[in-house]
Amino acid sequence: VGEEMTVSIVSLGVGLIVGYLGQRSRMCTIGGLRDFVLVRDTGLLKGVAALLLASWVTFGVLHAIAGSNLDRLWAAGTTPSGGWAVVAVLVGGLLLGFFATLSGACPLRQHVLAGQGRIGAWAFLAGFYLAGIVYTSWLEPHIGSWPI
Amino acid sequence: MTAGTATGGRESAWADLRIRAARWPRSPVFYGIVVAVVAAVAGQWVINPPAAYGLCSACHGRDLENWIINHVYGKSLFVTAAGSHWPLFTVVGVVLGSTLAARRNGELRSINIGGNVPQFLLGGLVMCAALFVGGCPTRIIIRTGYGDVAALITLVAIAGGIVAATVSMRWWARR
Repeated sequence: VGEEMTVSIVSLGVGLIVGYLGQRSRMCTIGGLRDFVLVRDTGLLKGVAALLLASWVTFGVLHAIAGSNLDRLWAAGTTPSGGWAVVAVLVGGLLLGFFATLSGACPLRQHVLAGQGRIGAWAFLAGFYLAGIVYTSWLEPHIGSWPI
Repeated sequence: MTAGTATGGRESAWADLRIRAARWPRSPVFYGIVVAVVAAVAGQWVINPPAAYGLCSACHGRDLENWIINHVYGKSLFVTAAGSHWPLFTVVGVVLGSTLAARRNGELRSINIGGNVPQFLLGGLVMCAALFVGGCPTRIIIRTGYGDVAALITLVAIAGGIVAATVSMRWWARR
């Protein structure tokens, strides 16, 4: 109890806002590009662009308020540490996009679908959280902790 | 406009704006702007470290379940510094917020479209890939906005994966 509890309350509030707006707008981060490739529909793609641009602008404003880090475009310490790291990130991203598209929605959208009653989304989440334990318990020690 | 607007344009303009504002939650662009601002502010001021950690379905879900396992069974699974003292309830909030929105608008109903076993397996694969690259697609976008070079590379790779999956799904459907 105390100041540390704000993390729980704020994260619950963030989740409620995201879940409410996600249900109303049917927003999906991988759905944007998928709909564009399939039927040339740019509605969700505009949402993805808005998410990217708005977060860029907001972080710029927040950094200006904090008075830090304005002389560089890229954040320090985020560059992959060599060629193999780039390959690993590329392969991981490729698999993430591929499997998420096959499942029909990005993970956040699956949470929203589960909330509005889609049975398949609950099956997705069951595998999702089971794999979370499997990954941190058995896979991550072999791969090594990844610089995020 | 009907004939009864002689009382003044201000009320009708105000009513017009209210009708438009009621439609904003339906817009993906509105979602993008609000979610980006909320996630960036929460990540910068409350939910950190790591940086740009305001919203992520994979990492926050991993933190919550590992926090529960650590506290119930006394294990020491990996939890980020942000969610180690008190748990992160973001994923719970997303499901509850979606239920609330669906209930308010009469869209809350149980739908089974089949294919639940493949969904279960794909869920596992998506979680492993997301934890490997350090975030679900939404957090990858927010991290790119933060200025993360690795996230930008990941975003390009995710786009490639989406195009590959969409094209191959269309190919399977046409066969």
